[in-house]
This record gives sequence, C-alpha cells and structure tokens, in this order.
Amino acid sequence: MPAKYHIHVRRVAPRFSPLGRSTIIDWSEGCLRCARCVKEMCPVEAYRKRDFDRTQLTDTIDEMCRDCFRCVQGCPRELIFKALNPQYRQLGDDYWTPEIITLTWYQAESGKIPVSGAGYGGPFAGPGFDALWTDMSEIVRPTRDGIHGREYISTSVDLGRKPMFLAFDGQGELLFTPPPLLEVPLPLLLAEPPLGAALPRLRQMLGQAAQSLGTLALAPREHLTEELLPLARHLAPHYAPGKMNLQDPILPQVRAAELADHAGVLEDMEALKKRYPQLIVFIKVPADGRAEARVADLTRAGAEVVHLYGTHKARGLGDCRDLHLKDLIRRCHLRLVADACRDAVTLLASGGIALAEHVAKAIICGADAVVADIPLLLSLECRLCKECREDGPCPIELENLPVKRGAQRMVNLMGAWNNQLLEVLGAMGMREVRRLRGEVGRAMFKEDLDQEIFAPLFAPREGEPLRREGE
Amino acid sequence: MDMEVVVFACQQAVADPEALRSLWGRNPARLRLLSEPCSSKVEAFQLLRTLAEAADLVWVIGCVEEQCRYQEGSSRMGGRVRYTQRYLEEIGLEPDRLGRTVVTPGHPEDLAAAVAEIKARLKKLGPSPLKKKE
Repeated sequence: MPAKYHIHVRRVAPRFSPLGRSTIIDWSEGCLRCARCVKEMCPVEAYRKRDFDRTQLTDTIDEMCRDCFRCVQGCPRELIFKALNPQYRQLGDDYWTPEIITLTWYQAESGKIPVSGAGYGGPFAGPGFDALWTDMSEIVRPTRDGIHGREYISTSVDLGRKPMFLAFDGQGELLFTPPPLLEVPLPLLLAEPPLGAALPRLRQMLGQAAQSLGTLALAPREHLTEELLPLARHLAPHYAPGKMNLQDPILPQVRAAELADHAGVLEDMEALKKRYPQLIVFIKVPADGRAEARVADLTRAGAEVVHLYGTHKARGLGDCRDLHLKDLIRRCHLRLVADACRDAVTLLASGGIALAEHVAKAIICGADAVVADIPLLLSLECRLCKECREDGPCPIELENLPVKRGAQRMVNLMGAWNNQLLEVLGAMGMREVRRLRGEVGRAMFKEDLDQEIFAPLFAPREGEPLRREGE
Repeated sequence: MDMEVVVFACQQAVADPEALRSLWGRNPARLRLLSEPCSSKVEAFQLLRTLAEAADLVWVIGCVEEQCRYQEGSSRMGGRVRYTQRYLEEIGLEPDRLGRTVVTPGHPEDLAAAVAEIKARLKKLGPSPLKKKE
C-alpha cells in the first residue's frame, strides 16, 4: 500500500492583525480608573494587552475580544459598548464575503478545519453552492483519532485521457499504448489569481506551494520567468490563442500545458502531443451557452483535459451570466454521460471556488478536480481591497512577504481544505474522491426539491379558493 | 513622498465610504478612510499616534451631536478633538493638522462640504514637518 498522502501544515502567524467582527467602544472621559475591566472582568486580558496597531491605525483590542460582554455589563459608569465593526463589513464584496475572507485567513494561519461553536443560527439554504445539500448520513461513530485514524481515504485524481476499454492480443499484451496520465494527490490545482500586488513573488509562492502539495500551478506563459524554471515540473503554462510555440524552452520541462480554446486549438494540441507525447494538454473553455456542445466536441476529438471556467463569482460567462457554475458543470457532465464518453476526459472547473465545501460540491456536480485562485491570494492575508488594480499601495505589503512564509500559508489552506474533503468523504461513507464525481445521489438540489416536492405540496388544489388572511 | 490624509469616519455619518472616495477624486494626496462604529471610538492618543506615524492631516467626521446613535458619542469626540488640538499646540506642533466636521446623516451636501474643507486645509498646511525626517 502506498504511503498515506499527508499535507504538512505548520502554523504561520499573520503579519497583520485580523479584523474583528465586532468592536469595542470604551469612552475614556469619566472613566473611574477602577480597572475592573482590566483586572477582573476580561477573561482574555484584552484590556491589559491592547495596543495601537501602527500600520492599520486601529486598536488591537478587537482581535482579542471574545464577545463575552463582561466588560460591557461590569463597567460601573456604563462607558463600554460593543458594536459591529464597519471595517470588517467592508472586507471583500458580495461574493467574497467578510466571513469567507476571515475563514480563509484562519485556515491559512493554522492549517486546521474551522470549527464554530455549538448551534447554527443561519439559514439552511442560499443561492449558488448553498443550494446544494450533501448527504452526511454515514457519520455514525467518528474514530478517536479523527480523520487521520480512519481507513485510508484517497483524494487522488488522474488528469488525462482515459481509454474507454482495453484491447489485448493473443498473448495477453495490450494492443495499444495507453495515453499518459498525471496523478495528483488532491483534486485541487492552483492558479494565478486575477489580481494581486507583487505578482512575481506570488508566482514563486504558487510554484513552491504546488511543489509541496504535489499538484500543479497554472499561470500565463508570459509570467513564467527564468527564476521559476527550477519549479517547472509543478507549473503548467497557459497559452493564449495563437501564442503556443513548439520551440518554447519551458515545454520539455513541464508535465502539463494549457491552451485557451479557439478555432485551431485541436491542431495546436496535436502538434504539442506529437512533439511531447508525455505532456498533458488542457483546453480552457469558457462556461457559456456553447460550453456544453464544445466540451462534447472536444472530447470526441480526443481532448485529454477540459478546463471549464466561470467568473470569479461562480457565474457563467456570456449568455449564461445568470447561471451558477455548479449548474454549468452539471450540464457539461451530463452531456458527456449522454454521449457515453464521460470517463474519457478529465473535467476541471474554476471560478468562484471559495470554500472547502465548494470543492466537494463542484465534484458532485461532475468536475474531476477544481482550480483554486483567489483563495490563495486571500491566504496571504489579502483583503480584496483591489487597490493593486489601480497601482495603489498594498495595505498588507505583499511585496515584503517572504516567499517561504507565503507558500506555507497556501499549503496550510489547501491542507485544511483537503481535511474537510476527507471529512465529507468519510461522512458519506466514501473511500475515494474519484467516486464522488457526479454522485448526485449523495446530494440534494434545493431548486429541484422546491419544484418537485414543495411546489405540488403547497399548491392550491383545483377548485379550492386561495385562503385569505383572517378566514 | 505623497501626502496622506487619514479620515476616521462614523459609519452613520458616512454610510457609503465609496461615495466619499469618489468625492475625493484624483487628488494627488492619498485618502485613507477608516470606518468606525461611532467617531468616539477613536481616542486622543490614537489621533496623536496617527499624526506621528503616517498622516499629514487627520480628520474626524462624526454626526451632528443631537443625532449621535450613542447619544453622547459625537459630543465626547468634539471635546476629545479640542483637547488633542490644545495638546498639539502645547508641545509646539500645528493644531490645525487635526480637524473635525459634523454632518447630518443622509445629507450628501454636508459630506461634499467636509471634503472641500479637508482639501483646503491640506493645501494650506502642506506636508507634515514630522515626516520630513525620513
């Protein structure tokens, strides 16, 4: 049995204090200096340890506060209040919410699964990935050692073309050479985020993280400079239409390359495969209205890996702007199933993969593996202020973050995600992530439930008048 | 080095920080806007430290005192700003490097006037002498 795949996480302290969800207002005028808040009340000694954060110009008390409200209740002059922190609320945007950002920071710091307190006060369904419920019915008796004490659950996936059947000659020898496969130990590929300060440094981190995880990092070819060449085995260059050059010196060193979809992409792929037979070629297809047919066509024409990409908020592109990525993945997957060629091709999905559960859910919808981009930037304490897009100064000084430290934070995040994937698989009673692909029997789609079960249940019967209030 | 203005803004007074940023526009001085639950969250020592560290001008935008969500917050902040200005004067620094405007929540013309005042003050004062040493 091969050695268990294990991601080595190590705590990497944040360089900037994470913003608290709530904040303390403690008026100094009229304070009795009774020091009850300092000496008696605060169980985490936040009042004693507080300091002024010079870079963020804030009081560090908020990051220590655990919202016990003892100081608020105990102040004899009632000078202490708690309020929601507007700076926390302003993090990110409507998709990359403050909760997602701070959860990512926690995982990148500790490499641990984020666990919240008892009880869940939130809604049970929402839009997008939240409209997909997974079956966790096999959570029966967790082992004492948690996920690592269980029987081995494999998270490996194969990238490449798979033959639909094998053929042997009279001597029992294979009649053809099977196409090359690239096995990655977790169903996650890394990609260069669409924004970010100090990008050359960030690419180094991506490459090192990919090396440490045993996966690949995707980046545009023109960004892969000389310094990155030692990491070439863990990089996959992306070529824009017409930019692929067979003489490119990086090609003999990499194991995979990606081509943007265009009219001549199949010829480019053929040329690449002829020159470098062991190279795995990805084709990156936009998740728009034509994606379903395009993925089917490419698969029939012999594509090895198709990378379906949506927007950074997990939406479709072009005419599918209103559709969620999960539905578009499902469409392409089901089309390939109907065409009886699903197993021939590897389907990757990217865009808006923000949380560990999105990995499992995208795989349930039919992807073989997913590509993470923005979460890797968030793992470096990014606040998605988007200042870098206008050449503004980076508030977290990414240009000063040591490469090793940044790479370890990315590894920590992926480690936490992989552990959550193991938890999901364990709770589903599955031993392998390959089995999770397209396993919609393990999931419920809220939209479908509404339509199939709740709508007929609550629809007014024929001839029955609608009930009015007060009747 | 570019000049920098740090604005501590009460979230009731400046409900939409983007609107304030667009009012600031393409001014060569950098605007750093920090939203606070109430302007009185900021203590006198924080104003002083901010002036010492980063800013050429520190400004507080709060609500008119009768409309403060925390009843006394805005008036306390007024007193605190005056105290800090006196303190700056005593130690021989320009008290004008710290300013405060109160606005009526939901009145964009008040915010525009506040931004105009900040711009005028910054123009008058120029770069902070504390930053020249770097």
